[in-house]
Amino acid sequence: MKARSKRLILLAVLLFLFVSGFLLSLLEGPVETNVGDLFDFLFHNLHDETLRKIFIDLRLSRALLAFLVGASLSLSGAILQGYFQNPMAGPFVVGVSSGASFGAVLCIYLGLNLRFLGFSLQSVFAFASGFAIVFLVYLLSQKKGIFKMETLLLTGIAAGALASALTSFLIFFKSESYQEAVFWLLGSFRYSDWNQITAMLPYFLLCFIVAQWLAKDMNLLVQGDDIAQSLGSPVNRVRKTFLVVSTLLAASSVSVSGIIGFIGLVVPHWVRILIGPDHRHLFFFSSLTGGIFLVYSDFIARTLLSPSELPIGIITAAVGAPFFIYLLSQRR
Amino acid sequence: MTFKKIGAVLLLAVLNISALIAQEKIIRDDLGFPYDATVPPQRIISLAPNITEILFALDLGGKVVGVTRYCDFPEDAANKEKIGGMIDPNPEKIIALNPDLIIGFRGNPLRIFERLRNLDLPVFVLDTGTTLDSIFPLIKKIGTVTHEEHKAELFVQSLRARYEKILSSLQNARHEPKVFLSLHGVGLWTCGQESFLNDLIKKARGVNIAGHVPRKWLLYNQEQLIHENPEVIVILSKSKKDFLLAKNWMKNESHLEGTQAVASDSIFFLDENLASRQGPRLIQALEELSRLLHPQCFVEGL
Repeated sequence: MKARSKRLILLAVLLFLFVSGFLLSLLEGPVETNVGDLFDFLFHNLHDETLRKIFIDLRLSRALLAFLVGASLSLSGAILQGYFQNPMAGPFVVGVSSGASFGAVLCIYLGLNLRFLGFSLQSVFAFASGFAIVFLVYLLSQKKGIFKMETLLLTGIAAGALASALTSFLIFFKSESYQEAVFWLLGSFRYSDWNQITAMLPYFLLCFIVAQWLAKDMNLLVQGDDIAQSLGSPVNRVRKTFLVVSTLLAASSVSVSGIIGFIGLVVPHWVRILIGPDHRHLFFFSSLTGGIFLVYSDFIARTLLSPSELPIGIITAAVGAPFFIYLLSQRR
Repeated sequence: MTFKKIGAVLLLAVLNISALIAQEKIIRDDLGFPYDATVPPQRIISLAPNITEILFALDLGGKVVGVTRYCDFPEDAANKEKIGGMIDPNPEKIIALNPDLIIGFRGNPLRIFERLRNLDLPVFVLDTGTTLDSIFPLIKKIGTVTHEEHKAELFVQSLRARYEKILSSLQNARHEPKVFLSLHGVGLWTCGQESFLNDLIKKARGVNIAGHVPRKWLLYNQEQLIHENPEVIVILSKSKKDFLLAKNWMKNESHLEGTQAVASDSIFFLDENLASRQGPRLIQALEELSRLLHPQCFVEGL
């Protein structure tokens, strides 16, 4: 099959899944609602307080945020896998998640619950510390202006381990905050609201546009820095930009939803298996697929044991891993 | 006559003014947020088991429309609609129950309250101190916000009488035994200075071995525990069966066999549901613990 028609088929399937995923998320919850209620609300009863809260403030905002986070994490993973030319790379490989969770757990530990410019302080702490750790790792992996990727990767892993140790210490030291911290460490959308969407959307759009803009350069980078340089790509600048973009995506995701593992690692691989390695398409399809995957995962996380909720990291791994193994076995 | 008339008019005026004041009753919760308690709440949701127990003790069970999955006392509470757990109450479920009062406790995450407030839901959060006596203001506050001040006052009086009686029975206790309180049975998790269980041990005239550690909950060092040599080990358990498992562990696998508590078989059961909730049954827990530590003070007919 031609690459182009493959992409068109995938796009059609994804669009179908996108629409049905949102419908499912809107209709299903601990309060029973059906299509009739939704139509009634949309066309006759837009001012019904209870229905507005349930459909718009709870279900829609949650599904949208899940989509944004899934898209961000998958895009970030796709970028970093190209960046390091390493299939094991994911959005959290340089330590963003460990840094961000340290910030968030510190906030839970201190019992801080202030708001900062309309955002929960926990999110602000998480974002800042996630970004700070990557910046630090970046500085540390340079020596006399010479920069080695291997050093960046290893320093990232070490710094991540250090931040995780501090996080575990805080959780252990104040064990009554343990349960709350677990939801953070395994991810959850149970605090989602419109503020978080307005905060994330500009980051995501900006990063997506930049990534798409530089996708050609990524295709060159994958061939090796020397070749890319000789073909006229400003390698250093491109690399720096990609690192900032992927970090922004991961840090903003973690700051609203906690650490949702697996998705950023695996979605770019799914897409690569389906439509090939060209980054000009890989970035777009990874974002779309990741977003949809997370909408469905969150749907399962909140309905499986309703009215209780599961941390979403459990679902992404439990559903994603078998599917990933299946795809890999098909490829052989 | 005229004096009486003037008196009557004055009285009426005072009543009028108080009626005017009563028209709007704004109470601040323990986080400082206002709650409009002008009208007595009719649909109450409790976000913690101890709050549920207090509501039922004030005969408000009929007005409770939602509780957590941990609220199992009194029996009627277990039949109420479940809104999730203490850590993960479900906002959608809460909205659907259309509450006019949601009572939270400090064990709920702060972000939950923020989330509920953002949805314009009427939240009232309670966070009294970590001493045993703090359940009295807790009950009174719930009485105030539900317009059951009088019932709350009577209930506090009767509880306080029981409490004082236990304390006075303990007056003749000469020796205060060193107590290790085990939280999860297996393993050496215990309560430190900042926990209300520390106060429970103190009031029952015992000495908490971990009472000097400025934390709520901690995993105690085994070697240190052997060195401290507890005279009594109290195990908080959900059931006798859990207790026997934990007791076996203490005797055979914890290397504590040389301590006075294990040697003299002074390992006791304390019902976790009584002792771990800051509710009215804490007084019962105090009585049971006091009887375990100082049986001679509770000899009948004394």
